Amino acid sequence: MASDYEFSDSDGDYDDDEDMIDGTQDETGESEDDMDMDAFGDDFKVVPKGKRKSFEIEYESLSQSDVEKLMKKDVEDIVGILGVDESTANLLLRHMSWNTERLIEKYMDNPTKVLVAAGVTVEEPPSSPAPIRSHSIPNSATIGTSQSGRRPTRSSSKLLGSKSPSALKSSSTVSPTSTTRLSPRATDLPTPFVCPICFDDAPTLRPLSLTCSHPFCSGCWTAYISSKITDEAEHAIRCMAEGCALVATDTFIHDLLTASDVDPEEAKVNEETWARFQELLIRHFVASNPNLKYCPYPACTNTVSCPAAASKASLTSVVPIVSCGARGIPGAAQASGSGGNLGLPGKEHKFCFGCPIESDHRPVVCAAARLWLKKCRDDSETANWIKSNTKECSMCMSTIEKNGGCNHMTCKKCKHEFCWVCMGPWSEHGTAWYSCNRYDEKAGVEARDAQSRSRASLERYLHYYNRWANHEQSAKLSLDLYAKTEKKMEDMQITSELTWIEVQFMKKAVEEVDKCRMTLKWTYAMAYYLAKGNEKDLFEDNQRDLEKAVEDLSELLESPIEAENIPMLRQKVTDKTVYVQKRNEIVLEDTAAGFLEGRWKWNVAIDGFDDPEKTEF
Amino acid sequence: MSGICRPRLAEERKQWRKDHPFGFYAKPSKSADGSMNLMEWEVGIPGKANTAWEKGLYKLIMNFPEDYPSKPPKCKFSPPLFHPNVYPSGTVCLSILDEEKSWKPAITIKQILLGIQDLLDDPNVNDPAQSDAYTMFKNDKAAYEKRIRQQARENTPK
Repeated sequence: MASDYEFSDSDGDYDDDEDMIDGTQDETGESEDDMDMDAFGDDFKVVPKGKRKSFEIEYESLSQSDVEKLMKKDVEDIVGILGVDESTANLLLRHMSWNTERLIEKYMDNPTKVLVAAGVTVEEPPSSPAPIRSHSIPNSATIGTSQSGRRPTRSSSKLLGSKSPSALKSSSTVSPTSTTRLSPRATDLPTPFVCPICFDDAPTLRPLSLTCSHPFCSGCWTAYISSKITDEAEHAIRCMAEGCALVATDTFIHDLLTASDVDPEEAKVNEETWARFQELLIRHFVASNPNLKYCPYPACTNTVSCPAAASKASLTSVVPIVSCGARGIPGAAQASGSGGNLGLPGKEHKFCFGCPIESDHRPVVCAAARLWLKKCRDDSETANWIKSNTKECSMCMSTIEKNGGCNHMTCKKCKHEFCWVCMGPWSEHGTAWYSCNRYDEKAGVEARDAQSRSRASLERYLHYYNRWANHEQSAKLSLDLYAKTEKKMEDMQITSELTWIEVQFMKKAVEEVDKCRMTLKWTYAMAYYLAKGNEKDLFEDNQRDLEKAVEDLSELLESPIEAENIPMLRQKVTDKTVYVQKRNEIVLEDTAAGFLEGRWKWNVAIDGFDDPEKTEF
Repeated sequence: MSGICRPRLAEERKQWRKDHPFGFYAKPSKSADGSMNLMEWEVGIPGKANTAWEKGLYKLIMNFPEDYPSKPPKCKFSPPLFHPNVYPSGTVCLSILDEEKSWKPAITIKQILLGIQDLLDDPNVNDPAQSDAYTMFKNDKAAYEKRIRQQARENTPK
């Protein structure tokens, strides 16, 4: 196998790309498709460039091979600038955590030091840092297949020049093997080779070594490399000899893990190990680059590039919610996918680029979201104690459990209609003065002594926490809602003339409600920390409008289906969905604009923002 | 490296019998029924001459994991030793015995034992493993020396 297999292969792809300008390749085709598909509406998850809303951030989803291309570019730069070969450039860059500038600086300063530290060459006088003497093993230095010998690149002679004296010194009896090319199955050895690890001396043994000429049999190498990769997730794998700091090149590892002289089962394991190694390299690269973040969803291998949110300072003005473009969880999708292809298993891989919260926490910025979550965790015991899963009907005191998304409750026993959130009669909520989302600030003014003050503060917290938790609970129930909706869609197809495509409006409505509940949830976290004033009033007005729209739509979705009502219901749901979507965008857009203008003032100190002026709750 | 653990240990045993440093002993332990257990070795490490450790022979148990030599053996003084780099359980703290530090599959049992012998009189103060020996070594060298000599007398084979 050619040692530069990996690189020459992708080189070939690259050339092909340029030859075929009309592009049967994925990437060139995709961008054109996006343009055409715009006409078909938002069903397609790819957000076309130029149509970005103010509350969305510019980002790019990268597949594993895209990241490999980025890595390759860095490697090629280093090859060009430092005049080293590709595998050396790779090792140097990994050693320096892909900081190209620092690498060039350090290398120009003292190339030998950097090469030794990165494990490319051995140290000048072979040192023995461990407090043990090395006892030479017979025949240990008679052979060795040199990797660099198999990779004649234009710069290799330069590299070998700096390396051969030390290589000679470290193995006293060795003839300069770095230029002799040994086939992997060299059997014409002067003395039989005994592997110093497994003490096997079979003539079929394949001795291999790095440029340090410490030979071990291929079996021991493979086992060692596999254990380092799979058990320790280590990508810098050093020579097995005592005290030797040389790092195995990718080519060396690849050759071992793709060797054909093993049984098919082992070959399959080796193949997986090699894939894992590639992933480790990519993860290391992604972790080293502040512009990149690895998708946190299980078993997902995509990366998102979002330079706009790379700095901490930028997180005070944007909420970098990104998506890697993939959906669902491979493997788990089938197991939990009883609700068909409609439900949550196909959930988009949305996450925040700026913080570890694995969900869409718009409109609130990362620092405030984190503060809120921390507060919820701290206060959750009290809150849990006060807010149990059940509530009592305000008329007949029956215990009621909420099992659907809508807040319009009807007591089974006394038929009293009330709002689940404020427990007030529902009749008030149907009118224009829906006011369930707002905390009555007057209560705070009445607080005179410390005790009533702290009670007010707890009440205030609970007000926001209850609304927050309520939306979270509703979102959790959305899985059921999805299943229910799917059932309804089927019923509708049976009872009416509508086709499958025509009943999709239900699915869209459910998705929209789910999305808006997420926004609403976080608006309560935001409102909790917003300082009192006109800005907060406006924010809460928007919040109220959205909440009312969502509740209306949610109720429509829960209403029973009767054949004669379907056309009307369809009209209503579609209209409401569009309206809810609008209201949601208004909330998000206004908040995003507010962050950019620095319009929002907080009532507590939040990372990255000015400390608040003395305010009362 | 499954499968090569026992052949490797058998070969280590062979090499040791052929040649080993003076004063040391190392042998696989015997089970109750008299069969040999290659995965656990009983070894003795002598203190170097002209040090506080001389004349002592310190007993140690080596436990080899199934994935030896990918992973290092666990070395435990029995009874536990008064030494800054020996845990209260008796386990030795040494970089060559740590798979994430300097352990390499090519390190032989002989090299490990010589390494531990070197460690006896040359403790690594950057990596303390027990507070008693460490504090005494740092604060009162004379008392430490005395204590080590006492320990050597207790461990002198009759």
